[in-house]
Amino acid sequence: MYRQGDVLIVPVSPSAVPAEGEQAGLTGQQRDARGRLVLALGEVTGHAHAVVGPGELLREPGAFGAAWLHLPEGGRVVHEEHAAIPLPKGWYRVVRQREYAPGAVRVVAD
Amino acid sequence: MTTVQQTMPDRDANLAEVTARWRQTATRTGAAERVAAEQGVLACYQAAGLAAPRALVWFDSPLQAAAAALLLTGGSAAVRARLGEGRAEELFAPVAARLTAAGVRAAAGGAGASVREEVRTRPWERSRTRAHERLGARGWASLWSLTGGELWSQSQALSGRIRSAVAELLDRSGEQAAEDEQLRAAGEHDAAELLRERVPAAVAAVRLALLDAVFGQHDAAWLAAQEAAGELDGELAGLAQVARAAGWWWPYEEVVLLTERPTELHRDEAGRLDRADGPALAYPDGFALHVWRGMPVPADFLAGLAGLTLDRIQAEENAELRRVMLEHYGYDRYLTDTGAEPLHRDETGVLWRIQLPDDEPVVMVEVVNSTPEPDGTSRTYWLRVPPRTRTARAGVAWTFGVPEEEYQPLRET
Repeated sequence: MYRQGDVLIVPVSPSAVPAEGEQAGLTGQQRDARGRLVLALGEVTGHAHAVVGPGELLREPGAFGAAWLHLPEGGRVVHEEHAAIPLPKGWYRVVRQREYAPGAVRVVAD
Repeated sequence: MTTVQQTMPDRDANLAEVTARWRQTATRTGAAERVAAEQGVLACYQAAGLAAPRALVWFDSPLQAAAAALLLTGGSAAVRARLGEGRAEELFAPVAARLTAAGVRAAAGGAGASVREEVRTRPWERSRTRAHERLGARGWASLWSLTGGELWSQSQALSGRIRSAVAELLDRSGEQAAEDEQLRAAGEHDAAELLRERVPAAVAAVRLALLDAVFGQHDAAWLAAQEAAGELDGELAGLAQVARAAGWWWPYEEVVLLTERPTELHRDEAGRLDRADGPALAYPDGFALHVWRGMPVPADFLAGLAGLTLDRIQAEENAELRRVMLEHYGYDRYLTDTGAEPLHRDETGVLWRIQLPDDEPVVMVEVVNSTPEPDGTSRTYWLRVPPRTRTARAGVAWTFGVPEEEYQPLRET
């Protein structure tokens, strides 16, 4: 697994990815204006954990929804404040870091 | 493997641009573009087949405009009775003066009936139906998730916050805002009936006045979806124009109440309202929300944060406010000042525990950022984890929702 700031990228076998019939609740993440797949976006700075290169990102709805990243040719995850991490080809589960709060759980603002 | 959402780079990039533009609209501050907003309003009335309103009156905030709506719909008497004459006068007198100056009779019936259904809800429903027919249910769902869905939770949270703050100032009981959301979801006509039956007169009057509002810039989420569906050129053009140019507005048969945009809007990286040294949201008349990392706090509470002491933090009985104090004081400083002992230490970081009187303990992992800052130092930060956490690795693993034994990053930056 790979970690860039508040995002964890965990390799998974293709069988762990929802099959086509189970994908009704998932949406394909759009690429941003620079053609990147944004894994997590900082709302204020606009800094993003993003993947450059071919691939796709499937998301469950909601801030804590799971996301699956497919990189058929491998790729790189980049961020304005963190070193880039090369990723081998394959499927990944992408997890956003969270923080405990009594009675609630909050997304970490990186 | 093929997926539900076939990748279409051109379309996706376009949706991203539309969404980004509406995100900016939703968070825009500064003076409204009044001429454009008024033209937009007139276009809405024309598209709905309504006669043009005879007056358009501007207010500084949703609070003022809601007070005007109460005067014009007859709800102000109940609010007056509840607030007391002095406070009511302070609130309604300037609003009444502004209506009178615009040639509007500041009394029940002075504006005619609400036409929100005609200018906002029905055109919106028609456009959604057209988009549904064209794209199919799945196509629409996908389009929504890539556009409006991205903006929805924040714009919804923001307008909810504003609505409950207005309700609180007008009826001193904003705490039932969540119930309002359920009522709204039940359909607006039913909601009006339910409100009249269930709640006292002043509260019902305020909520009914708020149900007449169109959210202007805070309607960005669904306008983004409608634009992406190619629906903003027709009968929704006016609504979009008002949203780009102004804040909330109240359409009545004869009179339209328009409001300015906020002067201040401060959010954190997660998009939550957040400001430590003043209101996170403020309007020109001083109507404001004080919020720290998404949590509403009293205005004077923030002023007191500068001089925080250990004793004051430990004496605070409200656990939520104490959490805000702790975050403001700085966990690192607090750990040092209280002489807290680390519970556990491993290569992922350090686990700390702070005992609090009459509250669950604060347990935190101290983590060092792997990528050095530009000045060469490494940033240390603290993340709160569940109180039963026993090791630093378990704490970090929990923040990512993976089991302790599986948390083994190959590379970290």
